[in-house]
Amino acid sequence: MNDIWKNRLSEYIDGELDSSERAALEAHLATCGQCYAALGELRQVIARAQALQDTPPGKDLWPAIRAGITEERGVRLTPGRRPAVPARRFSFSVPQLLAASIALVLLSGGGAWMALQSRQTNLATSAPSSASTARPRITEAATWTGRTDAAIADLQTALAQNESRLDTATVRIVRQNLAIIDRAIADARVALQKDPGNAYLNLHLADTMRRKVELLRRVNDMAAARS
Amino acid sequence: MLATLAAAMLAVMAPQRQSDTTIAVPAGASLSVNNFGGGITVHGWAENRVKVHGETGRRGRVEVSLVGNTVVVKTGSREGAPSVIDLDITVPRSMDLTLSGTYADITVDGVQGGISAETVNGEVNVHGGKGNITLHSIQGGVTLADASGRIEVNSVNEDVDLTNVSGEIKVETTNGEVTLAGIKSNNVDAGTINGDVIYEGTVTDGGSYSFGSHNGDISVSIPEGANVTVTTATANGDINACFTLPLTESPGKHRKTFKIGSGSARMELESFQGDIRMCRPQEIRDRLERKKNKHGENDKEKDNDTSFTFHVDVNDAATYAARYARAYAPTYAKAYAPLYARNYARAYSRAYRSAHADTTSH
Repeated sequence: MNDIWKNRLSEYIDGELDSSERAALEAHLATCGQCYAALGELRQVIARAQALQDTPPGKDLWPAIRAGITEERGVRLTPGRRPAVPARRFSFSVPQLLAASIALVLLSGGGAWMALQSRQTNLATSAPSSASTARPRITEAATWTGRTDAAIADLQTALAQNESRLDTATVRIVRQNLAIIDRAIADARVALQKDPGNAYLNLHLADTMRRKVELLRRVNDMAAARS
Repeated sequence: MLATLAAAMLAVMAPQRQSDTTIAVPAGASLSVNNFGGGITVHGWAENRVKVHGETGRRGRVEVSLVGNTVVVKTGSREGAPSVIDLDITVPRSMDLTLSGTYADITVDGVQGGISAETVNGEVNVHGGKGNITLHSIQGGVTLADASGRIEVNSVNEDVDLTNVSGEIKVETTNGEVTLAGIKSNNVDAGTINGDVIYEGTVTDGGSYSFGSHNGDISVSIPEGANVTVTTATANGDINACFTLPLTESPGKHRKTFKIGSGSARMELESFQGDIRMCRPQEIRDRLERKKNKHGENDKEKDNDTSFTFHVDVNDAATYAARYARAYAPTYAKAYAPLYARNYARAYSRAYRSAHADTTSH
């Protein structure tokens, strides 16, 4: 793959290339299947990230984030307002975008999950671990899947402690479906061990893990609603 | 178990009570319904009124109120556990609906507003709808027909079926098939883990289409004259087509890219274990027809099969008994009432005559 163009695919998607660069990249895409496939994957991840439901969290995350930024950078922020961030150009690798996509799922479901956590002091300290995945600085599949695994484990712990609020038949069905997803995740992991750089397998694993997160989040939402 | 079944039968055989409320609604009003168990059925009509009919049973109650611009329908129980209540609601056709239940089947017909329907243990069947349409069930199948707008449909443990639907479409299930037929869209995203995905619909220039499964086959229609770049990926399946495909690239071990026409639209077809097949629309329609007929035959075979074995879950059996007793009780009551009425009339008549004879003889 031509690295010059590969690194500029996200700018192309964002419409940030000038007309001559855009024409040159499009000419390259017409002849390079790998870049074309990578472009498709980037678009898919972005589309999936955009399609995520923006569920308002039960607890406003902004004060903690603001405190963190203030502490790190010594920035003064007006209460209740997001800081004006200067326009900045980002380029992400495919694994980074995958991680970001899953992190968005985790954050969008954070409200109900935190609501459950707030009733269980023993689990309260694990909340930041899922939120921290919102800042992906990871490029290796093993790293981002490890963090997602940890977040999934937290959600499963929460479910185990709250599933008594749900009907036994529902719990049985949910467990069956989680097992189906787990088998799919295991299949994808085995395939990835043989072919770690395979973009399709990485995307498939990420998408399957996202499904697990979403199912756990949904069931935890249901349990929270019945408390 | 018999005691549970008997209790369930007795509960539903108890005298049914009904609740009827009709209220006038302003233009642009919406409907919000929450029913723990039973059915929620909504029909559209041309009047600016909402009519709520509830089969409440002995303990159930239905509350209807107008809160702001929203008609709110809530069900509850006068005492004890939540009651099973069937709601039949008629609304202005353009009304937006928000329907939720736990052990509730949700049915909507003839409504042309936005629809949000969510249940845990029950089916969601919607015919019509326009705008934002969001349908969810955990344990039941979901069907949507003749609707348009921004569509999001998902189940967990059953099939999802969309027919004659247009707009932006996102469909997902975990343990079930996804069938999309007669679709008009430039943006479709459909996936399952354990089941096939079938798509028969438009492929519009500049559109985006994504279909995925882990354990199932993917079958899609590519109309003649379509301009689409198809990227396929499978780890253990085959890729084939009913027509000649121009292979553009084979960028990876598991990936193939085909550029059809100008390649303007993008289509992603991915199945980890299953096959990927591209055909012309008529071939997919024929396949859907065969599948439909096969399901019909299977249903008949199941009905005629008397040698099957099964495992009984007490809760499921009680739910089943309650549902069918509710359906059949009125029919049997109608059939047997005249017979028993005559028998009781004769018996009471004899008893009356006998008592009267005793009185007069003294």
